[in-house]
Amino acid sequence: MVKVLDRKVWRDLSAMKGQVLTIAMLLASAITVFVGAIGTYMSLLESRDRYYQDSRFADLWAEVERAPRSLLGPLSEISGIASVEPRVVKDVRIDWPASDLSISGRIVSIGRRSETALNKVTILRGSAIDPSKQNEVLINAAFAESWGIEPNDGIAVILNGRLQTFRVAGLAQSPEYVYGARPGSPLPDDRTFAVLWGGEEAVANAFDMEGAFNSLSFSVAPGSSLPRIVADLDRLLEPFGGRGAYDRTEQPSNRFLSDELAEQRTLALAVPVVFFAVSIFLLNAVLGRLVQAQREQIASLKALGYPSIPIGLHYLKFVGVICAAASVVGIVLGAFYTDGMLAAYRPFFRFPELAAHVPYWVPAVGIALSAAAAGSGALNSVRRVLRLRPADAMRSAVPGHTAKVIGVRLNARAKMMVRGLVGRPIRTLVTILSLALAVPMLVLGLFWWDALAYMIEVQFDRIERADAIVSLTDARPERAVYELAGIPGVLMAEGQRVVEARLRAGPRTYRLGLTGLLRDAELRLPRSEDLAPIDIPKSGILLTTELANRLGVMPGSLLAIDLLEGRRTSATIQVSGLVDEVLGYNAYMDIDELNHLMRQTGLVSQVSLKVDPRQTSSIWPELSKRPRIAGTTIKSVLLQIFDEKVRSIIIIAAVVLTTFGLIIAVGVVYNAARIGLQERAWELASLRVMGFTRREVSNILIGDLAVQAMAALPIGLLSAQGIVSLLLGLRENESFRIPAVISAGTFATSALVVIGAAVASGLLIRWRVDRLDLVAVLKTRE
Amino acid sequence: MNNGAYLGTSGGPRLRGSAPVFTARALFKTYGTGETAVHALRELDLDISAGEFVVLLGPSGSGKSTLLNILGGLDAPTSGRATWRDHELTGATEADLTRYRREHVGFVFQFYNLIPSLTVRENVELVAEIASDPMSPDEALSLVGLSHRTAHFPSQLSGGEQQRVAVARAIVKRPDALLCDEPTGALDVETGKLVLAAIERANREVGSTVIVITHNTAIAGMADRVLRLGAGRIVGEEVNASKLSPEDLQW
Repeated sequence: MVKVLDRKVWRDLSAMKGQVLTIAMLLASAITVFVGAIGTYMSLLESRDRYYQDSRFADLWAEVERAPRSLLGPLSEISGIASVEPRVVKDVRIDWPASDLSISGRIVSIGRRSETALNKVTILRGSAIDPSKQNEVLINAAFAESWGIEPNDGIAVILNGRLQTFRVAGLAQSPEYVYGARPGSPLPDDRTFAVLWGGEEAVANAFDMEGAFNSLSFSVAPGSSLPRIVADLDRLLEPFGGRGAYDRTEQPSNRFLSDELAEQRTLALAVPVVFFAVSIFLLNAVLGRLVQAQREQIASLKALGYPSIPIGLHYLKFVGVICAAASVVGIVLGAFYTDGMLAAYRPFFRFPELAAHVPYWVPAVGIALSAAAAGSGALNSVRRVLRLRPADAMRSAVPGHTAKVIGVRLNARAKMMVRGLVGRPIRTLVTILSLALAVPMLVLGLFWWDALAYMIEVQFDRIERADAIVSLTDARPERAVYELAGIPGVLMAEGQRVVEARLRAGPRTYRLGLTGLLRDAELRLPRSEDLAPIDIPKSGILLTTELANRLGVMPGSLLAIDLLEGRRTSATIQVSGLVDEVLGYNAYMDIDELNHLMRQTGLVSQVSLKVDPRQTSSIWPELSKRPRIAGTTIKSVLLQIFDEKVRSIIIIAAVVLTTFGLIIAVGVVYNAARIGLQERAWELASLRVMGFTRREVSNILIGDLAVQAMAALPIGLLSAQGIVSLLLGLRENESFRIPAVISAGTFATSALVVIGAAVASGLLIRWRVDRLDLVAVLKTRE
Repeated sequence: MNNGAYLGTSGGPRLRGSAPVFTARALFKTYGTGETAVHALRELDLDISAGEFVVLLGPSGSGKSTLLNILGGLDAPTSGRATWRDHELTGATEADLTRYRREHVGFVFQFYNLIPSLTVRENVELVAEIASDPMSPDEALSLVGLSHRTAHFPSQLSGGEQQRVAVARAIVKRPDALLCDEPTGALDVETGKLVLAAIERANREVGSTVIVITHNTAIAGMADRVLRLGAGRIVGEEVNASKLSPEDLQW
């Protein structure tokens, strides 16, 4: 038997379908973002962890100049080392005529024991190489795909100065190159960086490394102390030109990946969680008010003798139906969102399999939290009404004499409006707050465009002023700068010295390419937070703010520097200032000072170029032909990659957030207006009977909404800035940071959307007022 | 008014010697359609003259409220014609009816319909602000005997006081017509009499034409004329030779 109250649930739902629909959409949006974004993040983590485990990703690495295989015995005896794998890893150049740009690459030797090897190379297409054949390689799928290379194609590689053609046996993927960025490049460029895997003998022969290795990877026994093992390794490897062993946190691909995932944590966790929190607050407020508007009915039920629990249950059922419908929609859309995001990540994160792995708790928590918010909103209102004696609940509250606005004589309708607002301050404040929070809902989606534009302007226009950065195969005298400056079309050339270094501050370390700049450098201009250029100090080091935070140092602090090239000297140097950058963790010092620390003079290892944009088609090929150039980073290409990869990921999320922010903003405004009407329908009908026109009557409600919306907008704009700054302050990331930049346009758009929703709701109120059934209203007492 | 100067005719109640202000001809009002249709009014004819105090009596469902709502410009008949002076009430636009109510009609309902967030005086001011020639709100309130409670809110008043505020609000515009639907329905005898006295003063001192709906036959004694409705038609008419004052009514 269906109880009468249950029938009332369905009738109420159908009678309030506009409100029910917008509330359900609000809730579905919140659940979609929650499930979709967290699902995406969890899927990325899970895919990474599975891949690392399946492919036996190493725990430690070490590079040396050259060490004999006889060293493997002593290395494997170090306590805690579970396995050692020696390799030859060398930078090469690819001779790829189709490319105007020079293509750099890295060749990695594969031993015969590939089954048990660390960093297992997965063949995606084609076949494995026959290690006995000298002319077969595997090539990383990202590079192959960007150039349309198929198995059995040939590829010409310059190894150690000699051109050799290989047959591509297969397209492959390795956990060491999930993020395939050329050393020194802040972003992975699939088109200009290739990873090749060749047979041990072939690679060793090409580099005169028979019976020797220059790279090691290790797995360690669980529970071992990594710092101790690193110290032991460094001691053993030091005589062979060891550059210092490092763990996964300093492995370039993994570090990049971790940074990216950290960034995604902002995008995929913090933003949705804040979005969700605001949504369920709005849900709570909207439903609370909806139920509050039924106080006469609740009081009547109580007067009829219904106990409190069935009345509460009745409203819970009402809310439950909305939640159930919204949850189904939210989960389905959330799954689509996850799939869409993962599709955008696939070219970025090169896992063999990047599939959705969404734990059950994600939707469960999303639904439970939203149901709790909705239920508590409704129940609080029911309880407030039930606490009153039925007679009091059915009587109107006595408003205070509050409308004596000094100096302004209000007419009676204005007083109605003002007393409606001031007489129930909590409800008014909650409404204003709800309307205010509609603004950040929109800003959270829209500001990403501003942030991206700002990042590009600051990083690629203000800080990095060169059009291309040429990396030399080794440090060379300044003459190299003049040689490049002499290429027709090159307008300016500046030498830089980049030395691989480990910065140490107490227990914290960071490994990077330390950049030495000319003191009057013009092509790379480190800048302070307010974008003012900062001079390179004669002595001392400049750190990006993020790097200083990571190392826990401030200007004036002393920093230990271990240079990992050449004579491997160490020095202590003062942090002389902080610079603000969008891309990368960087450290700068005077080039002469850096050369001095290296016990060298006048050497450069990379050259920044400013070029005539009309002559790039001849300059880039010229650069790729020159010897002793390891690779060229071209700003326009970097921008393009940034655009293709970073933007695509951010923009999917931004579009989703903007859309749902819009739904939520409209839903909140509409409900505020609609409930306002519901609460006052009887009063307004009375005014109509007295001869007030439709316009006069709707203006009371519209004025009410307008006053609340006007109060809400400044609060909303401030809270949007606050929320965005707070969110982006939470992140800890290296590869790039998203600045909390919100343009006036975004603020204006968000405010206009809220105003637009308010105007549309105002028109709707007008439409409703026109249809008030005057006779029916008069027949009943509320 | 000329008490006792009215005679019924076979064509319907009619004012002799004076042009009617309200006329209704062949009014039909049907709610719903087909078998479930409810006929609230069936071919009703009516004339009411200026300044007249008319009581409409009849059981529930006899069509009293429907008739009053049509005459007050709140509802439209299904067919037939209703006019107030030279205003066509049937077929008028919503805006015309709103102006008609605003300029000419005061309403009093059973449930007072005061605005809870406005004080007694402000409830009256609300109407005075949109009237062309209102009396002062204080004057209206003194007519209903509430000069001492003008700063209270409705919820601080008794039912009878609230209804007198409603009367003051209805008469402050000096309405040509004062239409009252069960004004004492929710009140006890003594309180009801105070409200009726306020309505009677409006009729006498403002000159409003008054139509009062009631199912309380005792109230009929204070009318110039009593119309009995049944099943959507006027089924009886009495003209009081002498009107009773509200204090003399007994029920």
